[in-house]
Amino acid sequence: MHEVPAHLIEPLKQLLLSIADDKLMLGHRNSDWTGLAPILEEDIAFSAIAQDEIAHAQALYELIGSLTGERADDIAFGREIGAYRCAQIVEPGDGFDWGVALVRQLFCDHFDAMRLARAAQSAYKPLADLAARLVAEERVHVEHADTWLVRLGRGTGESHDRLQRAVYQLLPLAPSLFEPVEGQDDLEQASLYPPSADLYSAWRVEVGTTLERANLRVEFPAQLPTERGGRRGIHTPALAELLDEMCEVYRTEPGAAW
Amino acid sequence: MPTREDILEQLRTIPDPEMPISIVDLGIIEQIDLTKGSKTRVSISILPTFVGCPALPMIEEQVREKIGKMVGVESVDVRFVFDPPWSVDRITQAGRESLKAHGVTVPERGSRLAVHGTAQLTTQLRTSAVPCPFCNSTSTYLESPFGPTRCRMIYYCEACKNSFEHLKRLA
Repeated sequence: MHEVPAHLIEPLKQLLLSIADDKLMLGHRNSDWTGLAPILEEDIAFSAIAQDEIAHAQALYELIGSLTGERADDIAFGREIGAYRCAQIVEPGDGFDWGVALVRQLFCDHFDAMRLARAAQSAYKPLADLAARLVAEERVHVEHADTWLVRLGRGTGESHDRLQRAVYQLLPLAPSLFEPVEGQDDLEQASLYPPSADLYSAWRVEVGTTLERANLRVEFPAQLPTERGGRRGIHTPALAELLDEMCEVYRTEPGAAW
Repeated sequence: MPTREDILEQLRTIPDPEMPISIVDLGIIEQIDLTKGSKTRVSISILPTFVGCPALPMIEEQVREKIGKMVGVESVDVRFVFDPPWSVDRITQAGRESLKAHGVTVPERGSRLAVHGTAQLTTQLRTSAVPCPFCNSTSTYLESPFGPTRCRMIYYCEACKNSFEHLKRLA
């Protein structure tokens, strides 16, 4: 399928925004570590991951633009806060706590790779082709997060305890990733975003395996919340602060070409 | 009227902005379509190595400029496509040799996914399957899967104490 039926364009846009907005915000947070990571290799790693995530977001915004005629920059920086579709877990800063940064990568990278693998099966070929490429890159991020979790979880008492605290701190926000976007049922029915077995269960197995190898405890919430969250425009004050910083230049001259 | 081979020959003169290899040897030129009229319209499909590669706009600009200047060419259309995904296996033998001479090695054709190699960071394995481009020793290890560009990883050779780079296999 190279054309999207008219009534599915808006749901597809919502889905693409949810993926792209997660990546844009997380990429922005990743770039906080440029120049500040604990070791040089990780300074490069977090900068490279930021570069990947922001480029992935851009490619997804361009795909939206091919459906709606919008410019990628306007989609990325020109929306009101309620029109963003990122999950709440990508919104807060990590307080420059390396443990919090790594645990968030663990939670988000596993989820991102799983959802991209699903999108790579889309009946809409431009999305399937792009997602196949993105998931291959995202798997390197997954490996990076897994590696550091195990290394530090089995490291010193302090590195273990800091990761454990980070797991408990971020766990309540993890289910926010799984909230469906508006119209997701329609996308699934049309195989634009093919239905999958319970993604949350699969994610708990993957993330739980790494945490176990890292000697870290975790009790995942059994049920996902049903109230509206980031995927339907409800955000934390941290996103407003992030957008104020990220969009500052764009807002000085919205139509400018750079 | 330029032929497909003429276009390819011009493309061969365009180096990757970040590595000593031509974009043809890098294997990113997927398709060249010619539409003939009084002059020829050229459409070139390029496979990005990595989605976030900042060299892509530079490559596009150079392709437009070089091909646009050719006699008999009316217009140049450059498109980035993801099908098929680019892989290190698309790099030519000449390209591999040029990279190796500059301390950058390329995974063997058909070798395993590179990302599994990062597990070495966990287990502190001190040998890898990647021979050093300077001394050919296999006493090498992956220092970081993230190198100076998105497509390169950093290895270290314990025998000759040199760092070198190895291209990343994603597919």
